[in-house]
Amino acid sequence: MPSSLSTHKVSVARALCAAFALLFVLAQPAAAQLSFNPTAESVHEDQLLKALKEGDKITGRISIPDAMAASLIQPAGRDWRDFQRSKMPIIGGITIIGMLAVLLIFLAVRGRIRIHQGWAGTKILRFASFERFTHWLTASCFIVLALSGLNISFGRILILPLFGPQAFSTLSAYGKLAHNYLAFPFMLGLVIMFLIWVKDNIPGKIDLEWFKQGGGLLTNGKHPPSPRFNAGQKGIFWVVILGGAVMSVSGWFELFPYLPGDVTTMQIWTVIHAVMAMLLIAAMMAHIYIGSIGMEGAFDAMGTGEVDLNWAKEHHSLWVQEELAKGTVPAADTPRAVPAE
Amino acid sequence: MKSFVAALLFSAIAAVGVSMVLSTIQQPSSVAFTTGGARVGDPGNNLVGPS
Repeated sequence: MPSSLSTHKVSVARALCAAFALLFVLAQPAAAQLSFNPTAESVHEDQLLKALKEGDKITGRISIPDAMAASLIQPAGRDWRDFQRSKMPIIGGITIIGMLAVLLIFLAVRGRIRIHQGWAGTKILRFASFERFTHWLTASCFIVLALSGLNISFGRILILPLFGPQAFSTLSAYGKLAHNYLAFPFMLGLVIMFLIWVKDNIPGKIDLEWFKQGGGLLTNGKHPPSPRFNAGQKGIFWVVILGGAVMSVSGWFELFPYLPGDVTTMQIWTVIHAVMAMLLIAAMMAHIYIGSIGMEGAFDAMGTGEVDLNWAKEHHSLWVQEELAKGTVPAADTPRAVPAE
Repeated sequence: MKSFVAALLFSAIAAVGVSMVLSTIQQPSSVAFTTGGARVGDPGNNLVGPS
């Protein structure tokens, strides 16, 4: 009997094992039919993000005051980050280095634009002190804004490897402060600049002639007649005013986040700000070039405010006629130190 | 030259003035975007509280 009982127990045990084995075998196909394990799959961020469509967001429920913190994942942010990290440096690099190359080629081919008739020895007031103040207010702020802004786009690539993380962090932190707060005097400068110079920068028929003759930049000693501002200067004026306005509005939205809308709108404005900044920097490089080494006698206009009469006659003949009619131009034999060249 | 120096001085003074005005009307993010229960010691400098 004990033997029969033992045999029975063994049989029951075998039956149970067989049942478990069968259950296991049957269960395998069922498990294989599951496309993913939700718990394991949640760590695969790439698959999760790919599954989200354009504009989708993963949101949660929060109790802190910042309601926008409920957005946990916004896939469009990856596109924005990719643009900032990869495309923006390329766009900026091509724009700025391209402009630098153009200016160097122009200098090599055309050379410095000289005063064809030589120095007259007589000066004429071109810009009053308040005009020069406004120019330098806007220009000095722009240079700091441009450098600190370029650090945002290129600093990781160019500055960080040279100076290391600590120096780069300190530089970037102070650069950001300067960028934030110098934006305000820059915007003020733009407004004043617009008010004092807009009347002289309205495009007219005379500007077409300037363009037809290439502004006199391409041929030696040949200058189209121009009023106080020639067509090229008018172009720079409107680039600064309109480009500066776009920079100001987009910058204002970055200074005061979420003013224009949600995070997606913010990202669009940061892209506009960055692209316009690169274009404006390139335009200002050309402006700085022609106002300094590119053209003899040009810097005096914003340096001392007075330019040589011959320079004025060559580049702004119509304006000189107006000043002569007003009687504001000094006699031609007024003593003046002539630079030795 | 005087106009240039005056412009530099004005821009620096204006920037400092703006920073002072904005700091009086704006809250730091550690205050604006959190409740009292979530704030840490020395916010802005220490995210984990006193060691």
